[in-house]
Amino acid sequence: MKRLLKSLPVIIAIVVGGLFSNNANAQCDTIASLCGKHLQSGYISDGQQYRALLINDEVSEFHTTFYGGSTYRIAACSGLTDGNLVFSVYDNERNLLFTNKDYSNSAYWDFKITSTINCIIEAHLDTEKVASGCCVLLVGFKQ
Amino acid sequence: MNIKNKFFKLFVSLVVIAGLTTACNGGGEDNTDTTDTTATNDNSNNNTLLAIDGQVFIIPSPVQTALLIKSVGVEYNSALLSNPKSATNFSTNFKKSINVGIYGADLGYVTIYDQTQDAISFLTAVKALGDELGVSSAFDKSLMERFEKNLGKQDSLLSLVSDAYRSADAYLKDSERNDVGSLILAGGWLESVHFATNVAKTSKNPEIIRRIGEQKSTLENLIKLLTPHYSKPEYAEFIDGLMDLSNVFEGVEFSYTYEKPVTEADKKLTTITSKSEVKISDEQLEQITKKIGDLRNKLIN
Repeated sequence: MKRLLKSLPVIIAIVVGGLFSNNANAQCDTIASLCGKHLQSGYISDGQQYRALLINDEVSEFHTTFYGGSTYRIAACSGLTDGNLVFSVYDNERNLLFTNKDYSNSAYWDFKITSTINCIIEAHLDTEKVASGCCVLLVGFKQ
Repeated sequence: MNIKNKFFKLFVSLVVIAGLTTACNGGGEDNTDTTDTTATNDNSNNNTLLAIDGQVFIIPSPVQTALLIKSVGVEYNSALLSNPKSATNFSTNFKKSINVGIYGADLGYVTIYDQTQDAISFLTAVKALGDELGVSSAFDKSLMERFEKNLGKQDSLLSLVSDAYRSADAYLKDSERNDVGSLILAGGWLESVHFATNVAKTSKNPEIIRRIGEQKSTLENLIKLLTPHYSKPEYAEFIDGLMDLSNVFEGVEFSYTYEKPVTEADKKLTTITSKSEVKISDEQLEQITKKIGDLRNKLIN
């Protein structure tokens, strides 16, 4: 019995952890499904779904390469309505190339790339609207 | 007995509380609203449980390199492709996963060149491996049917396949099988560079050669993506091979000059006008071609 009581915290952690994890995944899946609608106008998905669970002013960084001669669409969502997520695109020298903060937190934006660039996409919640939640980022392209 | 009863009551209470939590938060869309501003620190556990790092590495789609190859006028070459019939030969999850990526890149390539029969063969191979890896929901019968219905419509086919890979990726993330997801990406990347290096060898096309040089940063990101799984022997051998390849890429020069982007708010469009240059020698190209070929041969057989 003592052994059973000793393992109680582990059992609690597993049960509660599993439930919270399932719930978080369900949130991310729902948001991704809504966000996917922003990629439907002629853009081909890169085959990935990027997600992070953010709290308050936490920032998630996405590192990528955008090829010259392509146009990309970044769709960034959190929650069931658009405009909760702020995303910014920087080059590797940390020059700001774009932020959707200047455009009412637009849920998507297109980027025409003239020459291949390595860049960093930063995403954080608009804490005036949301305190925590799943952030989903989708990338599509057309040549 | 008393302790046993206490434990039992505690356990039942826990299950009830947990059940209520799920009932309140899970299920329908209305209940999954993450915009609830009252949810402050309640989700702190979720972050840990999802085990998401602050950094995410994005690997460009292999379809983009296949599109570039076609756009520069290179003809279809089935000798570049792996054999979809080998799908039944892969015995480990490592090889199955990486070949889902390789076949995905091949599927993109044949689709771009309108090779209908080859496309169906590769899709069948992807479905077979996907079933064995537990991602059959992404590569299901309905995908096969929709694919066949859209034959001849290249954009629709590429979208269907890319969306299926995105579904598989989401499923793997949900089930915390990031290792499988990373290998699929690695397979797709490897195959696309294999296309490019072989096309460069025969065509000497500067755009293709440049595209190979541009893989320097993507390769670094790929290694970072796979390194958490280095403790597993098959991964270690593969990552070592990628690091060896990375040593050659070290000598490739990628220079960048920032220029102020131009934004057209009405079109929701920003044109990024910064310039980059790639310098890659014939010797480096030859070494990269050989190392990519060696890595691939170990994986597709």
